[in-house]
Formats: sequence, C-alpha cells, structure tokens
Amino acid sequence: MTIPGFILRNALRNKRRLGLTVLSVALSLFLFTTLQTALHELTQPPTSEDAALRIVVRNKVSLANVLPAKYRSRLERMPGVRHVMKLTWFGGIYKDKANFFPQFAVDSEQLFPVFSEAEIDAKQIQDFLKEKNACVVGNKTMERFGWKIGDRITLQGTLWPCDPELIIRGVYRKGIDMTNLFFHHEYFDELMGNKGLVGTYWIRAENADSVSDLIERIDRTFANSDAETKTETERAFQLGFVSMFGNIKVLLGSISTVIVFTMILVTASTMSMAIRERSREIAILKAVGFDGWQIFGLILAESFGLAVAGGVIGCGGAAFLYRNIDIYSLSHGVLLKLDVTPAILAAGMTVAAILGIVSCLMPAYTSIQTTVVAGLKELD
Amino acid sequence: MPEPIVQIRELTKFYRHGEIEVTALDCVSLDIHAGEFVALMGPSGSGKSTLLHIIAGLDQATTGDCIVRGVNVGNLSETELADWRNTHVGFVFQTFNLIPVLTAFENVELPLLLAKLSAGERREHVTAALELVGLGDRSKHLPRQMSGGQEQRVAIARALVTDPTLVVADEPTGNLDAHSAQEVLTLLQTLNRQDGKTIILVTHDPKAAAFAQRTIHLEKGQLLNGNGQSL
Repeated sequence: MTIPGFILRNALRNKRRLGLTVLSVALSLFLFTTLQTALHELTQPPTSEDAALRIVVRNKVSLANVLPAKYRSRLERMPGVRHVMKLTWFGGIYKDKANFFPQFAVDSEQLFPVFSEAEIDAKQIQDFLKEKNACVVGNKTMERFGWKIGDRITLQGTLWPCDPELIIRGVYRKGIDMTNLFFHHEYFDELMGNKGLVGTYWIRAENADSVSDLIERIDRTFANSDAETKTETERAFQLGFVSMFGNIKVLLGSISTVIVFTMILVTASTMSMAIRERSREIAILKAVGFDGWQIFGLILAESFGLAVAGGVIGCGGAAFLYRNIDIYSLSHGVLLKLDVTPAILAAGMTVAAILGIVSCLMPAYTSIQTTVVAGLKELD
Repeated sequence: MPEPIVQIRELTKFYRHGEIEVTALDCVSLDIHAGEFVALMGPSGSGKSTLLHIIAGLDQATTGDCIVRGVNVGNLSETELADWRNTHVGFVFQTFNLIPVLTAFENVELPLLLAKLSAGERREHVTAALELVGLGDRSKHLPRQMSGGQEQRVAIARALVTDPTLVVADEPTGNLDAHSAQEVLTLLQTLNRQDGKTIILVTHDPKAAAFAQRTIHLEKGQLLNGNGQSL
C-alpha cells in the first residue's frame, strides 16, 4: 500500500456518497462551463484578419436612428477606404415570431467584397446580383427551415412598413454569421418609397494600420451635421450590440458565482461528514505517528481529487457534448455554436481545484486541532 | 540494575472544566524497566489511562517529567511527538481501531508508511508481525471478516511492526469474550517473555493484571502501595 493508495481507499469507502458528490460538482461545473461558453459566444464573436479591416458607421444618437444615403459617396472618397456598403437591419418575421433570424438589406455588389471571408459559389453571387428581389442566406438558416435555392419567402416587416418577397439565390458558408439573410438595399429602398434611409455603413479599410485614423476622420467629417456618426470597429460594434440585451456579463457572472459558492458548500459539507465519521481513525493515525500536516495532506488530497474528478467530468463533458450536438437547432438560432475553448476549460478546472482546497480547509483544520486524546475519547 | 526505560517524576495533570479543576494525576513518580510487563490498575477515573497517555506521548503533563529512553517527552513539539510515537510506541486500544477499508496486512503496514522503507522491506516487517500474532494466513482479510479476537491481534501486530520501545495497551480485552481475552493476554505475555517487549497494560480487571509481572495500583490520581495506601 502507498499513501496515494490509502487516500483512494478512504475516498472510495462510501461509494454512493462519493458518486453523488462528484456528480453534483460535475453538474455544477458543467453549468459553469456552459454559462462561460455562452458568455464567450455572445461577447467575443469570432474574429479574422478580414474582420479587423471592417469599420461600422452608425448614427451617434443610437442604432435606432438612421443615416442619410448621401453619406456613402463621401465615405467612398475618403483615403484608406476600399469598399463601402449600406447595411440596414430589417428585423422581419418569417411566418412566426419564434422563427427569428437576422435579416439585412445591403448593397449587394459590396456584400462579398466587404465580407470576403464568406464562402459562396461565384455563379450564385451572379444570380443574386441579377435579380432585384434575390437574397443570399447562411447555410445554418437554410438547414433550419429546410430551404433550397429558388425558394420564395416573404418577410413581414416589424420595424419597417414593408414586406419583402424574396427568392433565395445563394447560400454562403463560413466566415460570417451563418444565420444571416441578405437582400438588396435597392429593393428595400423601393419598398420604403426611396426615402434614402440607411441603418449603418460598413467599410472595408485598405489596411489594418489605417483603421484607427479612418475612424477618427469619419466622425470628424460628419461632426456638427444633422446626423453625426459614431464609427467603431466591427468587434466594438458587436460588443455594443450585445450590451443592448442588458448587462449579460454581470448576469451570467453572478449565476456562475452562485454556482461556485453552492458547490463549495456542498463539497465542504460532504468533506465535513466524511471527516467527522472518521474522527476516531484520524486519532489513530495521529497515535501511530502521522502529524497534523500529514493528516491535512491526506484530507486535502481526497477533497482535491473529488473536486477535480467532478471538474473533469463536468468541463470535459460539456466540451464533448457541445462538440457533438447541433446547438444552433437546439437554441432555435440564438446561439450559432458553443465552443468550449481551452481558456474556459482551464477556468473550469481552476474553479474545481480551488473548490477542492477551500472545501476541506475547515474540516481539516478542526481535525488537526483535535488532540489525540480528545479524538480517542470519542471512541468510548 | 540498568537505567529504567521510563522515568516518571512528580507528574501531575490537571483538567479544567469551566471553573472546576480536576486532578487526574497527583505527583506520581514511577520507573519502568526494559522488558517489564506492567499493569496499571485502578477504578474508573483513577488516572491510569491519563498516565498511559502521557507515557505514550499522546498527552502532556501539567507539571513533572516523563522521560522515556532519555527523552523528556514533555519537551517535544507536536511534530516531534508524532515522529517519536511512530518510532517508540506501539498502541493497542480497547476498540481495536483498525481502518475498516484496509486489509489486515495494510492496517499493520500503516505505521510503516511513515518510515523510509522500501515496499519489499515493509512487506517483510508486516509479514513477520502478522506471523508473530498467528494471523499470517489472514493478511488479506478486512476487519469485518475477522472475529474481535483476531482484530485485536491485528492491532497488536500493528503496534509491534515498527519494533517500538514500548507497547501500551489500554483495556485491550474490554471488548472481547473471555476466550479471546485470554488469547490476547497470553499473546502479550509471550511477546514480553520471548521477545523482551516492554508492555504497559491498563486494566481494571485483576485477571488481566495477573498476566503482568508487576501491578501498579492508582486511585484518585495517586499511586498506592501494596497496602492500598497512597505513596
């Protein structure tokens, strides 16, 4: 027998309690991992080199306020600008409110130059450009509704008083959010009576070095106008967009804290019970020569092992599960994917390790403080 | 005559329960020589277990000295005491106190986990200790698979496995039937006579004390002489 073997025997002596405790830690860490992953997905959209070149220009007042169509030509003339695209959030309903997916009216010719990382067949781009009421859709939304190229769909306007009738002419994959639908801004303008309204302008800069300067110049150009602009990188814009849902970070962070705190209580309670019912054995261990620190080491190792086992099952289980299920369908399009990153796994395992240490401190301290004689008296 | 292995000098022990101070040992002086089998006898509350605990380094005296093989046990720190107990004292308790999830072999091996011995050396020591108590064939049995007498013999093997200076036994037959008690006491006597082990036995049973070479009587924390008077 070895000391680790002895610790293992002690841990396995009440298999049902051990199983339930590991399971409770595992479930809690599964939830923790899920929340952290969801938070990551919502607040840290995937970035690429192309995304770093994109700039979003919106009305300084709010996203709900529009910009004039005439800004486009002024933006195009600015040094450092390669492409300018109008992009207006349509936010319509497809058959039912539950069928939510993002829809945008865009400058069709600029769509794929601006979002150059999107993969789409060249022929489909041509078909999309040729037809006024054509649209391109991300493959996730195509799969979700079982659509195929050539299908006709009607979006019911909610923000805008029009109902575009669209024909699907292309499907894109990868690069950008694969749940989006893009249709011609010209068609949107026509339906709206050519009022020259634009939600946002999306700019692709010449190079990454010019981005910060360009942002500054754009806002300076439109300062003191009827529609002052707020220009920011795509990433900053997306984070700002997410924050419109409320302080998700604080909400999910609070839930995670409650989970961790509850876990500590559960594990500490289990360790206290396990140690209390072993108090006579701990006295014997001390009598045969184990000192306080060695006893503490035994208890710590058991508690740590228990928590880490729960962590491996919980965090590893979450990583495995989310890699193998279609979270997009299950979340009805709210989440594109749940990618448990190494950083999140490390955070989960760190929580498990801290849990293992913290939960045994009090029972271990009590057992160390108890003298051998006091422990032996409990035998009688 | 060789120097005593245990020298107790004017040992006192007070316990405080709130405002009340209880005297467990009152100026006890005592010598025990190597190879002796001593029985500490007395009624409940006489201080015999307290004296045993102090000799074994499980408790500290309030005043006085307890010197075992030249070491004043009262001067050792908690960590030093733990190490000292591992090397010099073997314990046998009334309730056996084997670890229920460990086999007889592993229970006996437990004190050796702290010694710097290889697995092979540990195996040799444990096997020898189990053979000594007549349980060589039960090494893989768990405590629940053994009788009370067998469990106590495993506890004796655990006490002997480090080859300690002292074996202390606190009411070792208190939980055993008459036959098993006889076996255990005979075993302790044999270990004393054949292997020269120094054994201190705490008991309130005169029949058990009869197995010892010398009986020391305590009452109200004081040693009594042969006439039942305080020394």
